[in-house]
Order: sequence, then C-alpha cells, then structure tokens
Amino acid sequence: MGKAFEQAAALILSGDRELWSILAVTARMSLCSSLAALALGVPLGIWLGACSFPGRRALLVVNRTLMGTPPVVCGLLFYLLFSGVGPFRRLRLLFTVPVMILAQVTLITPLVVGNLESYVTAVAPPVRETARGLGLPPWKVFLLLVNECLYPIFSVYLLAFARAIAEVGAVSMVGGGIAWKTNVMTTAIMQYTNRGDFSKAIALGIILMALSLGVNLLVSLLQGGVRR
Amino acid sequence: MNFPAFQKSYGRRTVLAMPDFALEPGRVCAVLGANGAGKSTLAKVLAGAVPADGGQRVVPARVTVGYLPQRSFPFRMTVRQNLLVTGGGRQRAEELLSALGLSPLADRRAALLSGGELARMSLARALMRPCRLLILDEPTAAMDMESTVLAEGLLQRTCRETGRTLLLVTHSLQQARRTADDALFLHRGRLLEQGPAGRVLYQPDRPETKEFLDFYGS
Amino acid sequence: MKTNRLLALFLVGMMLLALAACGGQPANSPAPSPAPSSDPKEAVSPSSQSEAAPSGPVVNTVILKEADDQMINTYTLLAVNPGAPFTDANGTPVSDVSVNTSGAAALIQWLLSEEGLKMAADYGVEQYNDHLFYLLEGAPVYEGAIEKATEETKTIRLSTTTSVNDSGLLGALLPVFEEQYGYTVEVQSAGTGKAIAAAKYGNADLILVHAKSQEEAFVSDGFSYVLPGFQSERLSFLYNYFVLCGPTEDPAKVAESATVLDAFAAIAEGKHTFISRGDGSGTHTKELSLWPESLGITQEAASFTVYADWYRSANAGMGACLVMAEEQKGYILTDKATFLTFMANGGKVA
Repeated sequence: MGKAFEQAAALILSGDRELWSILAVTARMSLCSSLAALALGVPLGIWLGACSFPGRRALLVVNRTLMGTPPVVCGLLFYLLFSGVGPFRRLRLLFTVPVMILAQVTLITPLVVGNLESYVTAVAPPVRETARGLGLPPWKVFLLLVNECLYPIFSVYLLAFARAIAEVGAVSMVGGGIAWKTNVMTTAIMQYTNRGDFSKAIALGIILMALSLGVNLLVSLLQGGVRR
Repeated sequence: MNFPAFQKSYGRRTVLAMPDFALEPGRVCAVLGANGAGKSTLAKVLAGAVPADGGQRVVPARVTVGYLPQRSFPFRMTVRQNLLVTGGGRQRAEELLSALGLSPLADRRAALLSGGELARMSLARALMRPCRLLILDEPTAAMDMESTVLAEGLLQRTCRETGRTLLLVTHSLQQARRTADDALFLHRGRLLEQGPAGRVLYQPDRPETKEFLDFYGS
Repeated sequence: MKTNRLLALFLVGMMLLALAACGGQPANSPAPSPAPSSDPKEAVSPSSQSEAAPSGPVVNTVILKEADDQMINTYTLLAVNPGAPFTDANGTPVSDVSVNTSGAAALIQWLLSEEGLKMAADYGVEQYNDHLFYLLEGAPVYEGAIEKATEETKTIRLSTTTSVNDSGLLGALLPVFEEQYGYTVEVQSAGTGKAIAAAKYGNADLILVHAKSQEEAFVSDGFSYVLPGFQSERLSFLYNYFVLCGPTEDPAKVAESATVLDAFAAIAEGKHTFISRGDGSGTHTKELSLWPESLGITQEAASFTVYADWYRSANAGMGACLVMAEEQKGYILTDKATFLTFMANGGKVA
C-alpha cells in the first residue's frame, strides 16, 4: 500500500522538472481562476440574493442552468472562439493558461453566485429590515451583507478551488495539455493513464489530493479566524 | 403628525385597515392588541418596511423614521461596533451602553449574546440616530423585569428630551400603562380606539377593548 | 464544529489511502522482455507464443501477431498550408489564419536531416531493447541549411497522435532541435482524427500522423502544401508495426493464422471479445481496415451494433483500452510503443 505513496514522494523529491512545471501551472491556473470567480461571483451573488428587481427570477434560472454547464461544452465554446479560425484568433490565446483561466472562470462563477445567492436570500431580509430601520444608506446595507457572508465565502471559495483544480474537460480542450506550458495535474494524469503508465498517474493523483488537502487546511484555518 | 387612511392586504386577506390618525410629538403612543390584531403590520407599514396597498406613502417624506423590528438582527461584530455602525457617534454609544447595562458586554460578539442581552443591544442600537418618529416593535418582549424597567425609563426620557414621537408596539397592558401617554387599540385589523392612555387603557368605549383590559388587567 | 473538521480530515485521509491502495502493485515489476529484436522484413512469418512473458506473467495480454505487412504503421509529416481553405465552425471562409510556416519548415527539415532521422531510428533501443520506429526506405532526406528561430517564428505548434507522443520519441528529439535552433515546439497530442481537425481549425503549424487515408484527404482538401526542396506534401519517414495482442490462451488461435487478415477473420468468426479504440485515431483507422469486408464495420456505431456481444467500442485512449483488454481477456490492436510502456509498468491498475 505504501508503494504508491513512496513513488509519489520519490517523484517530488527527485525534483522532476516536468512535475514542478505541472504543479506550477496547476497552482497558477486554479488559484487565478478560483479567485477571479470569487471576485466576480460574490458581488453578483449578493446582488441577486439581496435585491429584488424585474428579471431576477429569470437570472436565477439562467445561473442555475449555467451551474450545470458540462465542462466540455464550455471547453468547446472557448476552443471554437479562440481557435485559429475563430472570431478571436488574433488574440492568439488558444493553448495558453489565460484562456484556461477564462474557461474555468466561466464554469466556476455560476457556482459561486448560486451558492452565495441561496445563503444571502436567507440572511438578507432580516439584515435589510434591521439596517433600514436604523436609517442606513444602501451602500452600508450592502457592506453589512458582505460582512455577514464572510464565513460562507470561505466555504464557497473552497468549492471554487476544488472545482478549478479537479476539472479536466475544459482545460484539456482549450489548454491542449502541452508539456511545459498548459499541462496541469488532471490532464497529465489523463495522459499517463492513456499511455498505460498507471503508477505515475496514481503518484500524480496522490500529489493532487495532498495539494487539495493543503489548500483546504489553509482556508479552514483562515476561516477559523473569522469570528462569529 | 398626521397619517392618511390606508389598507394592507396579503393576497386577498386584508390584515389592517387604518383610518386617518395623528400622533403627538414628544409623546409615547402605545399600540395594543391581541396576537394577529395587526400591530406589527402597522409598525412595518409606517416604517416603510412593507408598502401599503397601492404603494401608498403613509409617512410624509420629511419625517425621518427609526424602526426596531420584532426580530432585530445582530450584525457579525461586537456589541459596541453594532452601535457604531449606525454612525451615531462614540459618545452616544457609550451613554446608551451604560444606560441599558451593556457596558460590560460591549466587546462581546453580538451573535453570542443571550436573548435578553440581544434585546437590550437592539434597543440601544435603535436609539443611536436621531429621528422624528421612532417605531419599536415589542422591544422588551425578551427582557427580564429589571431590564424592562430600565428600558422604559430610557424611552420616556428620550422622548421628553428630544421631542421624538415614539410608537411602542406591545402586547403588555402593564407596559402600556406604565409608559404611554396615548394609546391605539387594534382588533382584527381595525383601529377600535385612539386617545389619551388614561382613557383608552382604563375607560374604553368599545366592548372588545374592555374585554382585553379585563383579561390582561387582572 | 471541531469534530466536523476532524471528520473531514479523516475522510480525506481515507481517500488518500484508498488511492494508494489502488497503486499497490510493485512499482518496479519486471517488464516482460519483448521479442528479441529482429529485422522486421524477415519477421513476416507468424510469431510464436514465445512472445508471452517468460515467468509468472503480471500481464496476461501478450503480442500475438506483429510485423505483418498489413500492420505497417507509417508516420507522416505534413506542413499546414497557410493559404488553405480554412473555414470557421459555421463554414464561413476565414482568410487570415496565422500559420508559422518557416517554423514548421525548420522542424520538418531537421526531422528529415541526417541527425534527426538517425535519432528517431535509434530511439527506444536503450530503454526497451527494441526498435520502436524504423526508417522508411526512400524517406526524403534534407541536406540544406535550417533557418534559426526569430521572435515571430520561434513557437511551433505541432499536432500529433497520442501514440507518437506517448512513445516518448518527441520528448527525446525535440529538445535537441530546440536547443540548436532556438525554437519552442508546443506538442498537442490527440487521436489522428483530432490532430488533423486541430490543423483544419488553424491550431497547428504542422502535423505528424499515421493514417494514410485521412492524410490524403487532408492534402486533397488543400490543407497541406509542398515545402521547397521536397517532392510531396506527405512526408512519410518512419514506420513501425501495429501489434495484435490478446490473452495468452489465444482462444482464436490468431498466432497460428497465416496473415493478420486471417487473424481478424478468426476473431470475428469465433465472436471473441475485441476492444476497439473507437475514437477515430490512427490505430482505429487501421483496425477498421483489417476486418473482413463482409462484416461492414466502420466508424459508425450503427455498423457494429449487431456485433455488440463481442466487438466493444471503447472510445478511449490506448492505455485505457489495454486495461479493458486485459480485464476482459479480449483481443486488441495497439501500436507497439504504447504496449511496451504498458508492459513496463506492470500493466495493471490494481
């Protein structure tokens, strides 16, 4: 049982340069995309949850549909858009990390919005009633709502990060899994598996899980610092 | 301070139908009635928390209103910060904290307060900012007797000193008798009595009010 | 709250352990030594059971049929024509597709230079004690100068098949080329069908594939062009053999059949399990050409529904298919390089 662990450890300790490149690209891609999705999704989620306006329900339905977007569909869309014959061909972004991040943000933001929206919908009415009763201006009500959401934001971030680091359909499509450039843990695992090199695939899987565990611990620690 | 007649319905059910009525500045007006009489609905409509039927504006725009809902929300911060967030000033906050015996709890997280402590904090917070009309919905329901007396004294003083009008929604006849200058009596969504507390709360005109007084007054 | 977090940690730990358990096979299990290298031209005769792993085979799947003329697997380089009739997803013509023609030319010229060809031919001998690729007789050889990279031309997009990439050939060759001439080669690997599609979508400067019919269509559609100094659009230079693998028991007796066509006929006759890539890859294309025509098996799912009891279309990569074949004791067509890697790793997930 220890063999796979041993191999994972050996792989890390060997200082395999390709592994480090894969780790670096994975970290860059999943951190950037989850943080960007958070930055976009939090205000949007709070807005959808807290405000009532015509078309809100329609937006919610749209968001819930987007939450279920199959990653490959998203990947295909960005592949076609940024392809050598696509409308955005001049940006020359296909098979680069930025377009992977873009696809990931498109996939993850609805999740952030949806999760936050359902939390805010529950907490917003009493907060708003209380804050308005105190005569607070709308911007202050909004800030108070953000303040109430601080705790769930951490959980939502973990969800976003988990999705970003674990996703393979979209990133393999728009990233191409090009060694030294866009190859991330998941696409590398897929490649090794297709190659029949299962032991390396499993070693990478263990490293991926360990990485995920590390980030989870860190965020949980930060979340523990958020007081009630 | 005059208010026009209005109605409030949820679906097809009319929960409150008010005739036009007036409140005197600098006085405490108690709103009495049994559960479901429409007391909280009256408070909410006057506070602008829910619209009256037809989107009618009941309180004139120039009147600033403060409102303490029945279930006031403790913001995720300390007790002192909960007061300061209203922008009412540090000094005012310390005065109110000590007036309601909250000074020892000032640095406690609001979410960790007991029911009675939370009620006191909510009341203090509602009194932070100046306003013309202050509407309090059952502010002392969760408080023990000692805190209730402290709170009632504070409310009466505040009204006298600042000339604020206070609309005090309560189900407690004793509290109304101790605190109010005027009183409104609601019954099944209708305003049955209005006038000086001395009359409404002791010698009412209507049999429904008498029944209420007999039941709670004994 | 505290207990919840502990529970979560515990669960993650369990998952890690489970994953480790999956990889519990000895990491360095002895690779069954492949057939002694022989000149492929002489080895057309049916190869024998000696291909089986010599002692206590970890993998039950063995090479049953190889080095048959029908199974020659030729690798071809094609430069993408910058003036090709590119169209977008709607079929609207697109004229300004950027293709790094001089980069593609430089890479092709180097691969077909004496140095490149020699490195390719020698690849794998050290690691597997066997040639993974052979030089094609009469392959075009380039003797001219090769242009160095400039700022505009330094990134070359090479779209290739998984089998080339997975064999590690490019990993061995490209760094030498990159170092000498200053280019960066970005390799994307997919099945031949996808690799060609990538070029048609303007996402590759050159392709390295192994499916003649698809290459010819690519050329006749105008997507490739003749590089100066060469005779043809299709620059075939390497070959190796597909191998037909199956369980050591070999119920269809394919090892004894005279040709690979007979072997495939025997598999179909006896309705023995066969794992097909089913993904439009070069291997899949080759496999389709080896079935008796009377069966009518094509890429279309409808064509093999009647054979569903033994013909399994996996639509997966070579490695995944090899595992399926191993588990289901089925026959499978694979490129030799992937099979050797599969064997070297013990060939098992559990």
